[in-house]
Parts: sequence; structure tokens; C-alpha cells
Amino acid sequence: MTTAQILNKARDEKRTVLTEIEAKQILGKAGINCTPTVLADTKEQAIAISEQIGYPVVLKVSSVDITHKSDAGGVKVNLKNGEAVARAYDEIISSCRNYAPEANIEGVAVQKMARPGTEIIMGMIKDPSFGPVVMFGLGGVLVEVLKDVSFRIVPIEKADAEDMTREIQGRKLLEGYRGQEPADVPCLQDMLVKLSDFVDRTPGIEEIDMNPVFAYSDGAVVVDARIILS
Amino acid sequence: MMELFFKPKSVAVIGASGTPGKLGYVIIKNIADSDFQGEVYPVNPKSDEILGYKVYKSVKEIPGDVDLAVTALPTPKLTVATVRDCAEKGVKAVIIESAGFAEMGGEGKKFQQEIVEIAKQNNIRVMGPNCSGIVSRDIVTSIYPMTRKVPRGNVVLIGQSGLLAAGMASDIVENESLDISKVCSIGNKCDVNENDLLEYFGKEQDVDVISMYLETVSDGKNLTAIAKKVAAEKPVIFLSGGRTEAGARAAMSHTGSIASNAKIVEAAARQTGMIMADDFTELKDFAKVFSTQPLPKGNRVAVITLAGSVGVNVSDLCATYGLELPKLTAETTEKLKDMFDTPVSNPVDLYFSVTKIGFTRTLETTFPDAFRDPNIDAAVIILAGFEYTQEAVQKKIIQKIVQEVGKPVVVCMIVGYNKYKNVIMDQLGKDLPVFPSLISGVKALSKLCEYGIRRQKLSA
Repeated sequence: MTTAQILNKARDEKRTVLTEIEAKQILGKAGINCTPTVLADTKEQAIAISEQIGYPVVLKVSSVDITHKSDAGGVKVNLKNGEAVARAYDEIISSCRNYAPEANIEGVAVQKMARPGTEIIMGMIKDPSFGPVVMFGLGGVLVEVLKDVSFRIVPIEKADAEDMTREIQGRKLLEGYRGQEPADVPCLQDMLVKLSDFVDRTPGIEEIDMNPVFAYSDGAVVVDARIILS
Repeated sequence: MMELFFKPKSVAVIGASGTPGKLGYVIIKNIADSDFQGEVYPVNPKSDEILGYKVYKSVKEIPGDVDLAVTALPTPKLTVATVRDCAEKGVKAVIIESAGFAEMGGEGKKFQQEIVEIAKQNNIRVMGPNCSGIVSRDIVTSIYPMTRKVPRGNVVLIGQSGLLAAGMASDIVENESLDISKVCSIGNKCDVNENDLLEYFGKEQDVDVISMYLETVSDGKNLTAIAKKVAAEKPVIFLSGGRTEAGARAAMSHTGSIASNAKIVEAAARQTGMIMADDFTELKDFAKVFSTQPLPKGNRVAVITLAGSVGVNVSDLCATYGLELPKLTAETTEKLKDMFDTPVSNPVDLYFSVTKIGFTRTLETTFPDAFRDPNIDAAVIILAGFEYTQEAVQKKIIQKIVQEVGKPVVVCMIVGYNKYKNVIMDQLGKDLPVFPSLISGVKALSKLCEYGIRRQKLSA
């Protein structure tokens, strides 16, 4: 499906929230690298997809009605074989049915378990006056507690993206603090420009979260994504 | 269209009054006292003549064309009716000074909306309501009596609140604290907003510095685009109200919950190269620095002092505000070896030189030799309020040297006797930016350096 088709489908279904799979498809088409994520609506399919994309995998409930997937018991990580996938699938479905009996569950998203990297958050919101605004920050505690993030008004240029990664207090962590793998900062800047370009040419998007993004010494990948429509 | 506001050939004042003290009188008096050369048409159904001008019963009775109408009427209802008259008369620019519109909510909001609709249908540009319009050499529509002619300077000030902008205007003009050319208050911004003015002043040849304070941003996306263009050519100093965290929205995403109005406005300033001021004094102070000093090529600063003790504090402040205090070159050190008891360092302590060759000679030789050093982009000069400093200021020695060297300076005065200090602040303050504290001077210089570096990058 094209980006327009995905957006139209959601609007036809009167949804303002895209599924993670839809969000990653759209971002992928915008040139932003996301972990391969495929929907399975049976246990057997989940195993087949896992075999195809390679272990270890992560299973996440796919439902626009469940915002906090972990709280619902809807996330199982580091699954190393078919048996584990089968068990996780059953557990996710039953736990989520318990947690939210009314929720419409379309299945389980199977995704490649990303190798841990420097945790990054990127996103976009629409300000009533300034229009779309993109955000960059370090993920985890740094964003939760310290709100160590930078913003720019869309559209941004490469120089703006460079300022965004340079502006955060925790920028040293991107350089590889205490033997940690340094982050591929130019790649992150490129992702920010692509995100800005995408929202600039795609009306009707209210908010985007790419959280977390794992940054490595060569490249970066969006592990979880969320898109909210106007 | 903006030309009609700033360079009208004829102006009607609706709600003009012959009673001194009334707003409608002050406006006419201000126009009369300005260099306005065109026709002045006071409008008031109950008067025949005000300050020698023939008074008309209504704007429609005025015989000639009216480029600009200024209204100061007691009720919003009357104002709406007048805007309708202006439309019939073919007036294309209206300044509405009266309050009682959108800022009051309810009925006021509706009246303002009516005005917006009349203006749209008739291609009229409206400034205000709830503003004081324009203060300039050629026309003054402000409700504060002006005591002197407005200079033809190189700084413009865009403000929102009518009273504050008018107050700042008369303060600046009376005290000659800034080489201003125009102050413009846009009030409720029902039509003309900061973007119109930023674009207009951006293109005006004789405007070098734009200072702007806003309580609300009308159209941030457009502001970002316009400010980016304008700030690439001339400094735009920006004070934004409503910058508190309380602006954070209830959002569905993580990004949304962190984004606040404050952070977005700051991001826009960084992105466009606008210079953020934190209060009204800074709005003026920064404008003073930017309008009188050349742009530095970098952030390497010499601190010039006569007391070593100040150096520590000023060095710390420079570090806080991102300024560097580099060593002077070997050549300079060698050249100045007789003027310092220990090799010259930075802060540059002139005390030894003063005891050896006197204050004036030190200012004329030791100071410029250090300041010309190629490692130095700008200087913080710390002066004390003593008789010999006052003498040097009155003989314009400091001003001359600074001009000759051609690099930017800020002057900070932290000690001294008031009888000298006040004269120094006042007189030197006409030529150079002078600050009553180290922190205010260092901060202002850091803004100049930041902007200078940005401009260097843009032209590279």
C-alpha cells in the first residue's frame, strides 16, 4: 500500500491512530530505517514470519485500542525459537483480552529484535501557530526526567539537524561515553531531515513518535513508532 | 500597503479633540509636532477647529483623499461604524487605537470580527485595535505626548501593547538612549501583525536593527520563514511573552507532552537567527549594541580593566555566556612588555601602564595595542566613575580609539562616584553601549558574537 492508501484506510475506518506496522511502513517509504515488522493473525503465521526474518524476535499486540502495550502484557521480547514464539503469541492474546475486553485486536506484530544501541527519541507535533515541529533527544531517563530535547520548525535543513543533535545537554553520550558504542550522528541528522520532509509534504498528520530509535556506530533503526492523524 | 501607515500623504484623526489631555488631542498634537508634511484632517462632529486644523463632521466629508485614518473613539460600536465610513471614503489604511475589542472577549470579539470583515471586503489594512500605532519623525499617532522630535535613527521597535510601546518610545526619545527611527505598536493584531512589519522593515534600507516584543505569535510558521530571511541580513531582537512551561499541551504522543510554547519559540529563534531578549531592558540594550557596534568575526574577547580583582568575575561570566578569553600573540606581548609588570595576559590589567604613563596615554597606546591583537574579536571595557575617566569620555578619547580599532566593545561601569559615573554613563552612552553591571554587558556582547558568527557562516 502507498502512504496515501494507508492514511485513507485509517480515515475510512474513522481512526486517528495508526498501528505500529502502518506507521513503520509509512516511515520506511519516507526513507527512514525501521525494524522489519509484519502482522501475524495466527500462531502459525507468527512462527513462519519469525523464521523468515530470523531470531531473536519481538512480539507485540497490534491494536489501535491498546496504547500501553506493555501494561497490557502485550509485548514479549528476545524470543529465540518457534516454541517461544508460539507460547508468547498465546500469552499476548489472552493477557490483552483480559486487560481490554472491548479492544479490537488485529493480531500480533512480529519484528526483528533490534540489537541495543544508544536510545534516541525523535518525533513531530503540530503547533497551532508554528505548524509541524520536529524533536530530537536522547531516550529513556534523559527524555522522561530531564526533557533533554531540541526542536526545530518544519521544514528543516541539514544545518538545522546538525544544530539539533549538538544542542542537547547529553550530546557527549552520542560520542560513545565510557566505552559505549558511539552513535552515527550524521545518520540521525539525515533521519531528522527525512522526517521533516515527510511531514512537510504530507498534510493531516498531527503527531509522530519514533521512540525508541537505536543508534549504532554505523546507522540507526526505528524500533517503535506511532503516528496520530488530525 | 505598509507605506500608507509610515509615509501617508494625508491623515484623518477620527475622535480628534480640542481639549488638552484627551487622547484625541494628544494624537493631533503629536502629528502637528512631527515632521508630517501632508494634510491633517481632524474628525469630530462637535468641533470646528483643533490646533489650527479645520475639523470635519465625518470622514466622508473630507474633500481630498485620505491615505491613513487614525481612530480614537469611546466605543467599539462607533469604531465599527467609522471603519465602514472609511471603506466608503476609500481609505486603505486604518489604525484603531481604542480598546474594548477581542482582548475583552464576548461582545468586543464580535466587534473586532466585524472590522476584520469590512477590511477584507474593502482591501483595507488595519493596525490594532488596542494599540498606539506609530512613533516616527514623520508621523506620530501615539497617545503619549512626545517631548522631542524622534531621531532618524537605524533602529525600529515593534511592540504589541499600546501603552508599553508608547511608553518605551517616549522614554527612548526623551533620554536619547537609542538611535530609534520608528516604534510601532500593533495591539490585538486583527490584521497587520508582526510578520507584515518584519517583512516591511526587513526591506527598508535605513533600518539596521529590528527589536520586537510579542505577547502572542500570530503565525509562527510564517514568522519562521520571514525572520530567517530578514535575520540573515539584519539583526532581529525578539522578546516573547508567554514563554512558560505551562504552555505544554495535553497530547497523545511523547513528543507532544514535552513540547511547550516556550521551547518552540526558542527553537524558532535559534533556527532563524533571531536574538532572544529576556526583558524590556535587554530589548533596548541589545538594540543599542547591535546598532552601534560592528559585527565581530568570532567570540574571542579581551577584558580591559584597571583592577585585577574584577577579572575573575568577568572571566567566569564570559565562560557562562560562551565567550573566550584568549592569550594575546607573542608579538603583542613583546610590544607591550614595558607596560606590564608581568607579561600581558587576559584580562588585560592596565594598572601598571597607568602608573607609568598615565591614564590618557594608556588609553591611547597600551589599550589599542592590546585590542588590535589578531587573537581578539571584541572587548569588554571596565571603567570606574572617577574624574579622569570623565575627562577621557568628554574628550571622546575612548570613543575615538574604539572607532579607530574598528572592533566591537561593550563598556561596564561597576564602581565610582555618582557625580562622575552618571556623566560617563550618559555621555559615553550616546556613542557606545554602556552597562551598569558586568553580567548585562557580557550577555549583550555574547549575543553580538553569536550573531556575528552566524552571519560569517551564512556568507561562507
